[in-house]
Amino acid sequence: MRRTTAAALAGAVLLVVLLPRPGEGQNYTAPRTASGQPDLNGFWQALNTAHWDLEAHDAAGGPILQLGAAYAVPPGLGVVVGGPIPYKPEALAMKKKYAANALKEDGEIKCYLPGVPRMMYMPYPVQIVQSNEYILMMSEFATAQRTINMMTNTRPPADTWMGWSNGHWEGETLVIDSRGFFGSTIGALDPEGAIEVRFLDRAGNYHTDGLHVVERIRRTGPDHLSYEATIEDPNVYTRPWTISMPLYRRVEPNMQLGEFKCEEFVSDLVYGKYQKGSGQ
Amino acid sequence: MRYRLVLMAAGLVLSSLSLAAQERPAAQGASYRAPRTPDGVPDLQGFWTNLTYTPFERPRELASKPFYTEQEAVDFFNRSIAGSQDQIVHYVNGDFGATPVQTGARPNRRTSLVIDPADGRIPPLTPEAQKLQQALLAADKARGPLAQTWRDDRGTVWCVFHDRAVPAIVAPYGSNYHIVQSKDWIVMTYEWNSERRLIALDGRPHAPASFRTYAGDARGHWEGDTLVVETTNFTPKRIFLGQPGTPPAVSASPALTLVERFTRTADDTLVHTYTVTDAATWTRPWTVELPMHRIGGPMLEYACNENNQDGFAQLKNARLEEAGKLAPLEQMRRGDAKAAIAEHEEKGAATVIGVDGKDESK
Repeated sequence: MRRTTAAALAGAVLLVVLLPRPGEGQNYTAPRTASGQPDLNGFWQALNTAHWDLEAHDAAGGPILQLGAAYAVPPGLGVVVGGPIPYKPEALAMKKKYAANALKEDGEIKCYLPGVPRMMYMPYPVQIVQSNEYILMMSEFATAQRTINMMTNTRPPADTWMGWSNGHWEGETLVIDSRGFFGSTIGALDPEGAIEVRFLDRAGNYHTDGLHVVERIRRTGPDHLSYEATIEDPNVYTRPWTISMPLYRRVEPNMQLGEFKCEEFVSDLVYGKYQKGSGQ
Repeated sequence: MRYRLVLMAAGLVLSSLSLAAQERPAAQGASYRAPRTPDGVPDLQGFWTNLTYTPFERPRELASKPFYTEQEAVDFFNRSIAGSQDQIVHYVNGDFGATPVQTGARPNRRTSLVIDPADGRIPPLTPEAQKLQQALLAADKARGPLAQTWRDDRGTVWCVFHDRAVPAIVAPYGSNYHIVQSKDWIVMTYEWNSERRLIALDGRPHAPASFRTYAGDARGHWEGDTLVVETTNFTPKRIFLGQPGTPPAVSASPALTLVERFTRTADDTLVHTYTVTDAATWTRPWTVELPMHRIGGPMLEYACNENNQDGFAQLKNARLEEAGKLAPLEQMRRGDAKAAIAEHEEKGAATVIGVDGKDESK
C-alpha cells in the first residue's frame, strides 16, 4: 500500500515536471519593458551542436589528431527545418571543398566576426540590451555585436561583417531583416588572412554576399527564447531555408559577458611567416 | 568605392562658428533637465563624439591659466583648424571622422583636458612605476625601427584592444560613441575597434579579483542626474596613456580604479569627467574632463582584425627591408593644403566636401 502511494506520488511529480508550465510555449506572454514591448533583455545561449554542423550529423574526429577526443565533433539531430540545406549542385561541391579546407577557410579560426545567424548559436553567451530605438545583441566571441534598428528601416550603407539589421515587433515576436554582409575577404588581404566565403558552422556550410536573413525571436517562457532564422542566398541555395532552436537564459546570478578577444590567440598563426621571433 | 579619398575644406566653413554652442561646465548646466528614458532615468542615449583640439595636458606656459577667454578659445580653435589643413588627403567623413572638426568638435574654454592636478598635467610616477616605464621604453627601443611581430605597433595595427577606449583618451579621429540604455545596463560602444563597455546598473558587486579584462569591470549608479561608473579589474596586459599628446605608456597596478561621471548638460552635450586612482603608479589621482557632443549616426562596425592590411604590410615590408629588397619609405608629403586641393582638383583626383558630409562638387 505504502509502496503504491509512493509510486503514484512519484508519477504525479514526474507528470508535473514533464508538462509545460502553465502559459509557456507559443502562447506565452512575455513580461514587458517600461515602454511596453516584450522584454528580451538578458543573457542567452544555444545548447545544441549547430556550431559544429547545422545539419544532422554523427560524431566525428576533430581536425587535429593530437587534440583527440577533446576537439572531436559531438553528434547532433540538426537544426535545419525539413532536412538538409537545399544547396545548388555546384554549391554542394564547393561546400565539400571548403569543409576539407576548413583550417584555412573558417573565419572562426582567424577570430573574424562570425556574422548572422552564426553568432547566435556559437557556444558563447549573447547579451541582449533593449531600448526603443535599438536592440543590441552582443556575443562574447570576438566582441561581436549586432545593432538592430527598431525605428528606421533603411538599406545597408555599406557591407559589414555583422550585416545591417532592421527590426520590428509582430505581437510577441521580434522580426529582424538583415542584409549587407561581406561574403569574403578576396582581394582585401594577404592570402594568409583571406577567406573565400563565410562559414555558417564548422562543417563548411557557407554563404556569400548574397545573404539575406530573416529572424523571428520570441519568449516562450521565463528562461527560453524561440529562435528561427530563414536564410536566403541565391548564389548558393535553390530556395530559402530555415533553422529553428531554443535559446536558453544563462540563469546564474550576476551573469556577465567576459572578454574573448581572440585576435590575441590567432595573430601569431596569421602573421607567423612574416614575423621575427615571438615578440613575447 | 567606400574608401574613396577626398579632400576636406571643413575648417573654412567652421571658422565662423561662435562660442554660443559651446558646452558649459557641468555646474553651469544645473538648470537643464535631461529627458528621461521609459525607465525614468536621464536619457544619455544616442551618438556622441569627444573629438577636440584641446590638448590632453596643459602647455607649460599656461600652467596657471586653466581657462581661455571666449575670444581666446575661438582663436585657438581656428588656429587648430588651420593647422589640421596641413595634410593632403582625408577619408570621407561619412565613413568615419577624419579630423575633430569634421565630426563636431567645438571650441572649449579649457586649456587642457586634464583638470586636476591644478597645473593640468599628469602627476609624476612613483619610483616603482618609473622602473616599469623604463623597462617598457627599453624593450621598445631594443626592437628597433622595423616591426618584428604583430604586437609591436599597439597604436593602430594592434586589434586586440584599443587602449584609448578606457579610460577615454581622445584620438585624432573616430572617438565616437553609441550609447544604449536598458533598465539594468548601459552599453557604450566606441567606434575605434568597436570596443564596448558593458555597465551594470543593477547594484551587483564587482566580478572576482581574478576576472580581468582590457575594458575593465564597470558598475554604474545614478547620483541625481549624473551617471557614476566605477571600473576595476583591468588586466595586467593593459597599458595606460602612451598616446600622442599624453605622457609615455605605463603599466598600472591591479588596484587601478577609474571613476567616471556622465552628466547631460544640454540636449547636445554630455559632460564626461573621470578620475584615475592607482597609488602604486601615480603619486596622486588625476582627473580629466571631456565634453561629448551629439553627432548623427549610424556608427558602423570597425572590423579591425578582419581588414588589417597594415599588419601584413608592416611585417612583410620590414622583412623585405631587412633583406635589402625594399628601400625605406619616402617621407609622406605634407604642406600647404590649399595648393594640394587645387592640384588634386585640376587632376580630377579629388572631391571637396563640406563639414556636413555633403558632396559640394556636384
